[in-house]
Amino acid sequence: MTATTISPDNTAILSALGPTYGLPWLQQRRSDAMELFERIGLPPVTHEDWRLTNTAQIAKINFSVPGSGTPLTPEQLAGLCLKKLGAQQMVFVDGKFSPELSSPGGKVEILTLRQGMEKHGDRVQRFLGREMPGQSNGFSAMNLAAFEDGAFIYLPPDQGDMGLVHLLWINASHDQPVVVHPRNLVIIGSNNQITLVQTYAGFSSQPTLCNAVTEMVVGKGAKVELIKLQRESDTAFHIANEAIHVHEHADVQSLCVNTGGHLVRNNMTVHLAEPFAQATLNGLTLAAGDQHIDNHTMLDHARENCPSHELYKHLLGGRASAVFRGTILVRPDAQKTDSKQTSKTILLSDAAVMNSQPQLEIYADDVKCTHGSTTGPLDDEQLFYLRSRGVAAADAGALLTYAFARDVLLRIWHTGMREYLEEFVAAELHRLHLDQAES
Amino acid sequence: MALVEIKNLEAAVGGKPILKGIDLTINPGEVHAIMGPNGSGKSTLSSVLAGRETYTVTGGSVLFDGKDLLDLSPEERACEGLFMAFQYPVEIPGVTTSYFLKAAVNAIRKHHGQDELDAMDFLKMVKEKMALLEMDKTFLNRSVNEGFSGGEKKRNEIFQMAVLNPKFAILDETDSGLDIDALKIVANGVNALRSPERAILVVTHYQRLLDYIVPDFVHVLCDGRIVKSGGKELALELEKRGYAWLETAAA
Ligand SMILES: Nc1ncnc2c1ncn2[C@@H]1O[C@H](COP(=O)(O)OP(=O)(O)OP(=O)(O)O)[C@@H](O)[C@H]1O
Ligand SMILES: [Mg+2]
Repeated sequence: MTATTISPDNTAILSALGPTYGLPWLQQRRSDAMELFERIGLPPVTHEDWRLTNTAQIAKINFSVPGSGTPLTPEQLAGLCLKKLGAQQMVFVDGKFSPELSSPGGKVEILTLRQGMEKHGDRVQRFLGREMPGQSNGFSAMNLAAFEDGAFIYLPPDQGDMGLVHLLWINASHDQPVVVHPRNLVIIGSNNQITLVQTYAGFSSQPTLCNAVTEMVVGKGAKVELIKLQRESDTAFHIANEAIHVHEHADVQSLCVNTGGHLVRNNMTVHLAEPFAQATLNGLTLAAGDQHIDNHTMLDHARENCPSHELYKHLLGGRASAVFRGTILVRPDAQKTDSKQTSKTILLSDAAVMNSQPQLEIYADDVKCTHGSTTGPLDDEQLFYLRSRGVAAADAGALLTYAFARDVLLRIWHTGMREYLEEFVAAELHRLHLDQAES
Repeated sequence: MALVEIKNLEAAVGGKPILKGIDLTINPGEVHAIMGPNGSGKSTLSSVLAGRETYTVTGGSVLFDGKDLLDLSPEERACEGLFMAFQYPVEIPGVTTSYFLKAAVNAIRKHHGQDELDAMDFLKMVKEKMALLEMDKTFLNRSVNEGFSGGEKKRNEIFQMAVLNPKFAILDETDSGLDIDALKIVANGVNALRSPERAILVVTHYQRLLDYIVPDFVHVLCDGRIVKSGGKELALELEKRGYAWLETAAA
């Protein structure tokens, strides 16, 4: 790719960068990242990976580091909180850790990244930027250069079932555009089991940019469920770069639910680094209006005998657009890879657009890789069947879309989270159908 | 007053005329059978009555219980008491049979200004009907028709009919794909619904079903027209002679 020059507009974001702090090694990495970002800027649409998601609109906005916004109401918080599910919870408001709102106590030691650097300095130094280096793209460079804080979780080996951990990122309401760069580092020792939920929410009617990075290492034999719920406001730009390194016999299942945001891009990279590592990547996108939601996944099969499954589903109304680009890379040593990728989309309006692209790069010969993609309106026959039994057309549509979405949710391992998301998605679908009815 | 009064009904699909003037009057309490060769328009007639939008009504009228049926949406027809058992019931993954039936029962109740059925009463009623059709208990929690055998799908249609309690039921080849035992069970379910207020229209290719659900009238549909009507003995005659003698009459 040809080097792109930074557009003058990008300086707006650069000038908004958070304070630099930390030890010399971190300062060095930050200044390198800053330099890199100044050179490459935000990814241009001419970049193959960003062809369908135009970041130019982000560069045009004059973001600043958030001052204190409108305080959150108890109702706003209650709707986002997972304490009733017994979650250990860490809350960040406008990128800053909020001790008052958090309840991090429990089986798992969860710290802020800043605390982690003090307590586990060597570990953080070793892993920060390893899975998701600044070089990956302009956003990851910007995050490394500018992140303020995030969660640090280190789980020593052989702890057993560690329950539910919730990282909640909230953008409060502001009267100007603001940017935050959440950065999470999660290291799960071998043979542990844990459910890690990330919620990203926002209440601002001004543009916000959330540029998140999450890096994760999953030790041998561990079983990890990752759930991300992106429900930001409809003025939000949400960019997330997530990378997971999976060791031998570990089993990772991730679900990425997107209902909010104006322009959203999730990059999810999974390195199946050792034999018998497993990954399941699921996704559910509900979009209407002029939302644009882009999910890129990369399943990197480095070694033999690793199964991977992907199911991404999209329900699109209004003029919404969505992208699913799933890369499956099978390296020469990854014999007996068994990989299945599926993308399914229901278009609820004529103006909604789906772009689904499988990308298989296979360098081993004894492998099984399949992919499939379907896109279309609600099934006429199913609709008629329901209506012929007395169910009103709108309700029949709602029932079918719910069934479509629920299929993904039923795969969630954690019972409490499954029920929570079933309820949340039902309510969001209601909103989506109302939107349709109005337009 | 007739329950169903079809007058000179014409319908087309994609510009191609299929029904070419059907006249049929069905009174409460009657069972009518429609027979006829493949492609003669039997399912088209059923679908048009149920309100399927793929078919365009190009002429004629249908009165149902005094109302202009063709003016109603499919769901309104169902709420007014019309039921069609599909020849090819569709699978609906992710929607459980119990959820689906509750939605249907309550939609119909709402239409009649009744309160929703509470969960206990609903379950009790549904279980009675399941017993009538000798259905497996697990059935309620399975997705509608998903992975059902052909016969199970047909039985499910009659089960739904029993639950929804229609005034007028159209059974489109409900017997095809059923083994002898299932056929008897299904016929029992249908006969349980027979009453002086209700009427049933049975579409079938085989006399066998009519041994169990004995019709008052038999009609032969050929090329979009009813070419012959008679009593139940007409079905026996068709079984012996086939349709050729009638088709030539139609042409
Ligand atoms: N959706 C459709 N599109 C095009 N042609 C159709 C459609 N539905 C029905 N037809 C045609 O209309 C004619 C009548 O079909 P219909 O299904 O009503 O026949 P039938 O009497 O029910 O036949 P069978 O005994 O095989 O069930 C056939 O020629 C069929 O091909
Ligand atoms: Mg037919």
